[in-house]
Amino acid sequence: MSNALEIRDLRAGIGDLEILKGVDLEIPFGEIHALMGPNGSGKSTLSHALMGKPEFTASGSVLLDGTELLGRPVDERARLGLFEAFQYPVEVPGVSLDEFVAELADAAGNGSFQERVATATAELGMERFIDRPINEGLSGGEKKRSEMFQMAIALPKVAVLDEIDSGLDVDAVREVAGLVERARSDALGVLLITHYSRILNYMEPDRIHVMIDGRIVRSGGPEVAAELEATGYETLRAELGLVPERDPLLDLP
Amino acid sequence: MPIMDLSALLRASGESDDALARREIAREHLASYSMPTGREEVWRYVDLDFALGDFELAPPPGADTPPTEDEATDASARAQIVDGAVVAAAARADGLRCERVAGGEESLVPADMDIFTAAHDAFCSEWVEIAVDKGKAIELPVVVDVSALSSAASFPGVRVDVADGAELTIAIRLDSADDVAALVVPHIEGRVGANANLTVVVDQEWGRQTKAIGQLVFSVGRDSSIQLAEAGLGGALARWQLNIKLAGQGSNAQVIGAYFGDRDQTLDYRYVMHHAAPNTHSTMFLKGAVEDEAGSIFTGMIRIDEEAQRTDAFQTNRNLILSDGASSQSVPNLEILANDVKCGHASTVGQLDPEQRYYLMSRGLDPMRADRLQVRGFFQEALNRFPVPEMVEPLRERFYQKYLDAQAGGRV
Repeated sequence: MSNALEIRDLRAGIGDLEILKGVDLEIPFGEIHALMGPNGSGKSTLSHALMGKPEFTASGSVLLDGTELLGRPVDERARLGLFEAFQYPVEVPGVSLDEFVAELADAAGNGSFQERVATATAELGMERFIDRPINEGLSGGEKKRSEMFQMAIALPKVAVLDEIDSGLDVDAVREVAGLVERARSDALGVLLITHYSRILNYMEPDRIHVMIDGRIVRSGGPEVAAELEATGYETLRAELGLVPERDPLLDLP
Repeated sequence: MPIMDLSALLRASGESDDALARREIAREHLASYSMPTGREEVWRYVDLDFALGDFELAPPPGADTPPTEDEATDASARAQIVDGAVVAAAARADGLRCERVAGGEESLVPADMDIFTAAHDAFCSEWVEIAVDKGKAIELPVVVDVSALSSAASFPGVRVDVADGAELTIAIRLDSADDVAALVVPHIEGRVGANANLTVVVDQEWGRQTKAIGQLVFSVGRDSSIQLAEAGLGGALARWQLNIKLAGQGSNAQVIGAYFGDRDQTLDYRYVMHHAAPNTHSTMFLKGAVEDEAGSIFTGMIRIDEEAQRTDAFQTNRNLILSDGASSQSVPNLEILANDVKCGHASTVGQLDPEQRYYLMSRGLDPMRADRLQVRGFFQEALNRFPVPEMVEPLRERFYQKYLDAQAGGRV
């Protein structure tokens, strides 16, 4: 199967601070890959660099179904088929989710969008909060559900789920894992970014990658998560002979 | 017609000799006032580039100015003021009065505040008086249209009296055509009795060349409430001085506002919430945006008298600056003489939030659509609080359209 996402020598950072130091990653269509790593390893930088967040610089190559993403504005990447579920979904005061969806539908301008909205609304039980302002006053679980809902209607080729399990209790983690597995399709590649292996207990990732200090240092099957769970990131770091770096955030202006 | 000579006009409106004599004095007084310079605290930040004497007094609307079609079947009363003259006033509900009365009576607005209140005292020849009887709850709103047709000065007056136990809603629309370079000094004032409720919604859509210096003054009795919402979209200069006096124990006030200035508009709000009795409660919540070279001013004062113990008061003013050349002043003030009160304010002036823009764009919206949505949401927070839901949808569209125009003109 062809690759949904191909990342080659991706270097990214903020200003002069390089956080990603050459990342290579391939996610074939139909697969779910997990990216694990300690705080500060560059996981969220990867998701923002892929999406093109303005304050991040990036070089190298990111192909989405064969199309280069780097250099393109955020909205264009989204329309090419990239979806990022935010670790901290942004509140948009005064704008209800259904107004947002209506604007998206208007921008998309095609009929099948409305059908997807109807289906996803019912399947994800969105009726309860679709008329509430985006992400405002929602519980952690509701926010993630809202992100998954938006993913369902966006119908992306690549979904980057940034710590979609953070801040959730165990029931909510199981629920979100189920939603990710349900989204699995031959037309989608998923990169699930997580700090903890907990969510992986409820799903079947095809590959697991470990990122430390801005590089992917290990890739393998589900056994990688189990190993990490047993030994921790510091052991892996020591094993690989990596010197702990200064917290890159300390260098920010 | 020179502005200082209109005894004939005043007499024609049917004022008593006493009132006329008082007005003579008012006109004499007026001569002793000068234009604000901007150094006075209550005129800070605003640049008055005209003099009262630049304007002639608006002539009475001709007989060929018929009242506009009475389209409001859903109104309990209707009144229409054109160039300061009351051309229509009629109620159609039991216990409700809506009529034209001659001016010259004592107003809630002190005549000696400034040259404009003094001029109103001297020249407002007739008022619309709206009164609801004791214990009457009037379901449908009273609709008042205030407009300016001639490029001259006019002094409209609307007076409301809500008796004990009564309830009333008034919708006031102010407008003029874009080519009418008028000076309008509207005074809207009211007394709310005990256990009564007054709701006022003001839809301000003066034309691009009209200057408006207005007063909104209310006194609220024991265990009564007032909701006052204003949407400010129009005018070259549109200013409101608001003063709500919570005069009776347990009274409360909710003030809501949304305003949007474009091009070279100045929107100027001087709001005073005066807690004069114990256990009174108030909120002010205003949101405004400015684009191009527009300016907005909000100065909010919560004044709590010594006897107004257990007052709970809060004011919020949030401003969005959409262009580099636009400016916004937001100045909250507290004056607290009582010692057992809860009181606070929140005031911000900022720009569109880049995190919101990024989030919305990450779902595929182009930057223009993303910003539109953010601006829409910004105003929605204020408009959703407006007390007359039927008025909100058209207002929402007008605020949105104004932003679309700014985008289309490349000004934001």
